[in-house]
Amino acid sequence: MRSVVLSLVALGLMASPALALDGQRGFLENCSACHQKDGRGVPGAFPALAGSKVVRGDPKEPLGRILNGRGGMPAFEGELSDPEIASILTYVRGAWGNKAGPILAEQVAGQRKTARRENAKASLQAH
Amino acid sequence: MESQKSTDGLGLSRRSFLEGLGGFGGSSLLMAGMSALGFGIASAQAAPPTLTGGGGKKVVILGAGVAGMTSAYELSKAGYDVTILEARSFAGGRCQTARKGFTSTELGGETQVCDFDDGLYINHGPWRIPYHHHSTLHYTKEFNIPLEVFVNDNDASYVMFDKGKGPMAGKPVRKGEVAADIRGGAAEILAKSIKQGALDQQMTAADRDHLIAYLVKEGYLNNDLAYKGTDGRGFDIWPGAGVNPGPGVVKPPRPFVDVLNSDTWKTLGSVTNYEQQRTMFQPVGGMDRIAKGFEAQVGKYIRYSTQVKSFRQNDKGVEIAYVDGDGKSGTIKADYCICTIPLSVLRQMDIQVSPKFKAAIGEVSYALVGKIGLQMKRRFWEEDHSIYGGHVYFDDPEILTMSLPSTGWQSKKGVILGYYQFGSQAAKVSALSPGERQALAGRAGERVFPGYADSIEKSFSAAWHRIDHNLGGWAQWTDDGRANAYPTLCEPDGRLYLAGEHLSYITGWQAGGIESAWQQIGKLHARVHAA
Repeated sequence: MRSVVLSLVALGLMASPALALDGQRGFLENCSACHQKDGRGVPGAFPALAGSKVVRGDPKEPLGRILNGRGGMPAFEGELSDPEIASILTYVRGAWGNKAGPILAEQVAGQRKTARRENAKASLQAH
Repeated sequence: MESQKSTDGLGLSRRSFLEGLGGFGGSSLLMAGMSALGFGIASAQAAPPTLTGGGGKKVVILGAGVAGMTSAYELSKAGYDVTILEARSFAGGRCQTARKGFTSTELGGETQVCDFDDGLYINHGPWRIPYHHHSTLHYTKEFNIPLEVFVNDNDASYVMFDKGKGPMAGKPVRKGEVAADIRGGAAEILAKSIKQGALDQQMTAADRDHLIAYLVKEGYLNNDLAYKGTDGRGFDIWPGAGVNPGPGVVKPPRPFVDVLNSDTWKTLGSVTNYEQQRTMFQPVGGMDRIAKGFEAQVGKYIRYSTQVKSFRQNDKGVEIAYVDGDGKSGTIKADYCICTIPLSVLRQMDIQVSPKFKAAIGEVSYALVGKIGLQMKRRFWEEDHSIYGGHVYFDDPEILTMSLPSTGWQSKKGVILGYYQFGSQAAKVSALSPGERQALAGRAGERVFPGYADSIEKSFSAAWHRIDHNLGGWAQWTDDGRANAYPTLCEPDGRLYLAGEHLSYITGWQAGGIESAWQQIGKLHARVHAA
């Protein structure tokens, strides 16, 4: 893994400081209400992202959850752009002791699908 | 379609053109027939199943929301021995009203104690009842809960759209003006096109005349088929006494292209769908009157502040382990269990069910929902703007709906719903402190009503996804989930029956919870009697 990260750095693909900052801001705005600012979540309610195997593992899994939602988590497919999701997940994979490689916008794009969700339409009224 | 047989060289015949359109009418007649048979799209079940002879069978119900209390009420009447375990210190589930003294601590948030003046409140959960939710109305009637009209549409209220184009963008516009102008403009274009022969090939002369007559009425058109406004959209100088103001001066319409480009017309369909009507109902004094109505009947069966720790079952019965309000552990055994715990919470609990059932529980998302109640110093929306109830539609996704109270008309103060947002916007706003949320709502409201921010005295906000024991506003099924997981969960797993709005097609409404409970207790009862 380390060598992969190093080679990404060498290729200039590593997230730039500016992107990391955007990722942190995006995380604080969109994710921290549940997963908490320190990434520790709330036991029994919101999973911790700090130290999470899912977060650090194959990006397909966390990307799928961000895009399509899962359980109590909403889908962000219609809310966040590919670069936004990439920068947020990159931040999460490198924060609070997590040490996993960055995510590129192309990886997000490759995983988008258009599952229709009830009530997800930008309705002005609900219930 | 039958009418397609009579085509001529031009495609559909003139008669069949209208008959083809009328195919929709045909399907709605079919639907009306289905509704009479109980298969309709309206909230279908108007009364609980008639149950007798429970014979003392023990049923433990998890959750004292409307689904749980409905189950307890009907089963106990039928002779079942029921016990409700409720995690909170009060009954109602999401059927809550925040008034003075109501306390809430969101997960990861600071404690809010509602400090509204006496008599003021916000329904931060369910807040309006459609006329066709017969099940909810069944219990408001049965429990003598007084209702009042909830004004769900108000032509005098504002539409505030920033994202449209043209001179209307970013300005509050009366909804009635938008409605008149878009109808008038569209009717004028269509009527003139027909007059100029646009549908001569498709329609008979008589049908064309009839359609134009409709458009004249629909769009307030004059003899030249032109829309020049209508007094219904308001006056620059209102009519009055004597010669001044005398007849008054009607407000001129806006240019059609401005209204069209503003996108404000997108709000006009919002109260004509299945879920939303122009007038709805609310209980006098707060939605939690419904919870109190149930509680008066079944409160004696409720063990409050009792958190479920695990669920076990075998072919003889069920066993639920819990921790009560004093921190003491215990177990309770019963013949059956009805679980109304939201799936967002249940999926993280220790329950003994089949792998398929367990997987199905994880298949649903829950809505992120945020609301805020703002106590206003004075009812400026009534006093300065002549808006009595209804909503301000705002295309800022952090606001969407500001709602003006349908109660306390012309009294001194009132509580406005300051925002009602969903999804990622709700996630964003819920990361803010209660004070920051109030400030955000104030900044937005200030753009519609000058002086709004300064008028805010107190606020109470709720982010349902961060509220313990709920973790979301309501279930949001995908098509896949409906097809695969949902049917599994509608059937019992051994001796466990799930109930709640999440197991209905009326998700997010109390009627969904009630009717799901009715259906499940009906199944349970049939099983007891078959045994």
